[in-house]
Amino acid sequence: MKALLIDDERLARNELRRLLAAFPEIKVVGEAQNAKQAREQLASLKPDLLFLDVQMPGESGIEFLESLEPPVPHVVFTTAYDEFAVKAFELNALDYLLKPVDPARLAAAVERLPGQKVAPEAGLSRPGLLEAADKVFVREGEKCWFVEVGQIRLLESEGNYTRVHFGDAQPQLFRSLNAMEERLDPKFFFRANRRQIINIAWIAGIEPWFSSGLLVQLKGGAKVELSRRQAQEFRERMSL
Amino acid sequence: MYCSVMEVSADISLLQGDAAERDRAKARLYVLCQVVGWGAWMAFETSGSIVFPDPETKRTLGETFSIIVVIVGTGLILTHLLRPLLTRWRWKQLSWRALLPRLVVTSFATSAAWSLFTIGWVHGILNSPWPTKYSHLLLALFDICYGCIIFFGWLCLYFLYHTFDRLNRSEIERFQLMTSVKEAELRALKSQVNPHFIFNSLNSLRALIDENPERARQSVTQLANLLRYSLQSGQLETVPFEDELGVVNDYLALEQVRHEERLRLRLDVAPEALRLPIPPMLLQTLVENAVKYGISPRPEGGEIAIVARNEGGALRIRVSNPGQIDGGSGTPSTGVGLHNAAERLRLIFGERATLRIRSEAPSVVVAEAVIPLPLRS
Repeated sequence: MKALLIDDERLARNELRRLLAAFPEIKVVGEAQNAKQAREQLASLKPDLLFLDVQMPGESGIEFLESLEPPVPHVVFTTAYDEFAVKAFELNALDYLLKPVDPARLAAAVERLPGQKVAPEAGLSRPGLLEAADKVFVREGEKCWFVEVGQIRLLESEGNYTRVHFGDAQPQLFRSLNAMEERLDPKFFFRANRRQIINIAWIAGIEPWFSSGLLVQLKGGAKVELSRRQAQEFRERMSL
Repeated sequence: MYCSVMEVSADISLLQGDAAERDRAKARLYVLCQVVGWGAWMAFETSGSIVFPDPETKRTLGETFSIIVVIVGTGLILTHLLRPLLTRWRWKQLSWRALLPRLVVTSFATSAAWSLFTIGWVHGILNSPWPTKYSHLLLALFDICYGCIIFFGWLCLYFLYHTFDRLNRSEIERFQLMTSVKEAELRALKSQVNPHFIFNSLNSLRALIDENPERARQSVTQLANLLRYSLQSGQLETVPFEDELGVVNDYLALEQVRHEERLRLRLDVAPEALRLPIPPMLLQTLVENAVKYGISPRPEGGEIAIVARNEGGALRIRVSNPGQIDGGSGTPSTGVGLHNAAERLRLIFGERATLRIRSEAPSVVVAEAVIPLPLRS
């Protein structure tokens, strides 16, 4: 697994590199001092894993992660003392390490990583499309989520933002619904109407609706109307 | 953070609400005392003139009553007009020793005005004849003395009330002050060394142990110095500038381990400034702020300059860092650290001590503390 270390302090990066030497399955392929460098490294090295400092000059680690196009590599945050960030991560099971890093805690974090996942190149058969297991980083206020695309039930347009429904949460993602649609696999996601995209895997029931439309009920309770034209397309797609 | 700000403002409005409520209660009490006091006197005079009518003047009941109304009404109006004057002259702040002669003069002047009205009414308007037994002057003097006693009594009651009220209030204020001192102490404790800095330093130290053991040992000592100083400084009112500068140097050496070439330093301290007293953690707060807003947010880093001079009867400490005053750097300012530092400075050295922040060159921010020199004994 290829890892990229992002931290503004050289000594902090050194220390992490030294600690990671104990894990042969993780290969540190590069280091970046700030978000700008990290973006370049990300494009050229295609790491599977980021060790990301929260407080950095210029863009913070969280802002940097938010700006990345999904799918996002696995991320382990590192922070010295940042009550808000730690709370955000604890709530939403994002992995984080407190500096100075405890080697045992690092081992636990490494263990939690999914097995040697084949790098995103595997998805190249459908370039740019998100797999169900790919993760999207979403932040709202002080809370952060790393959500698997397959867990998303519903995406709703709110101007330039998209509200993403998954689990008990529905935070906003700073991307337009159209931009999201281009990245979503049509095998799973269906554009129900101008404002909403639904995950077909989460459909709980369908009933006929006015003027040959359909009303789709999703697991979790949301109800979504399909216009006549979309209903037609939906029937065609499903009858395959 | 936001919660505590809201709580504080709620407290303030509560106190303001209290003050307004107290003022209303006082106004009600004043009206009550005036009405009851003068009303009682009027009742006394009226019943007196009915039971023991003056055989000499042969006034009608209506005339007698009108005279009493004028006497009492004039007294009421005069004292009511006196009240705002007493406030404007700030007599409530005076001691009784300074107050008493003023009260005598005031009661005499008020009484003269009062006698003029009442004599004018009785003999000018009602055309009541002057009693012949005594001279006019003697009668007028008698009236004035009578009035003097009444107005002097009124004034004494008024100021007695205010004396007790002030005692009562200063007790409350003392409690409030005690609470706010406690709060300030607590805040001062909290504003000591930034935990983010401590843990980052420990992290760098860990890496340094392998890379440069000598520097690592040195850093451990510097961190220990800084922590010890920040824990102990709460107990001292002032420390020599030299002591604080030593600790600030330790702090900056630790920051340099973290930021390496991104943090550059310039130190320009006049030797005569070294002995002067400053509040503990003042320079430390300024320098920590300079690193937080001037170095940490900029990838290219910058220079921090510390300049100290003994000029114009005061110690001037200037700490400059690159940046603009309101943000632009991405690190929003809470202003808490500097606010506390300014507060401590003011508490210890009084109003002449100042702490200001301004932009100097287009992208240099300077924090300047001016601390008056202690008086030589």
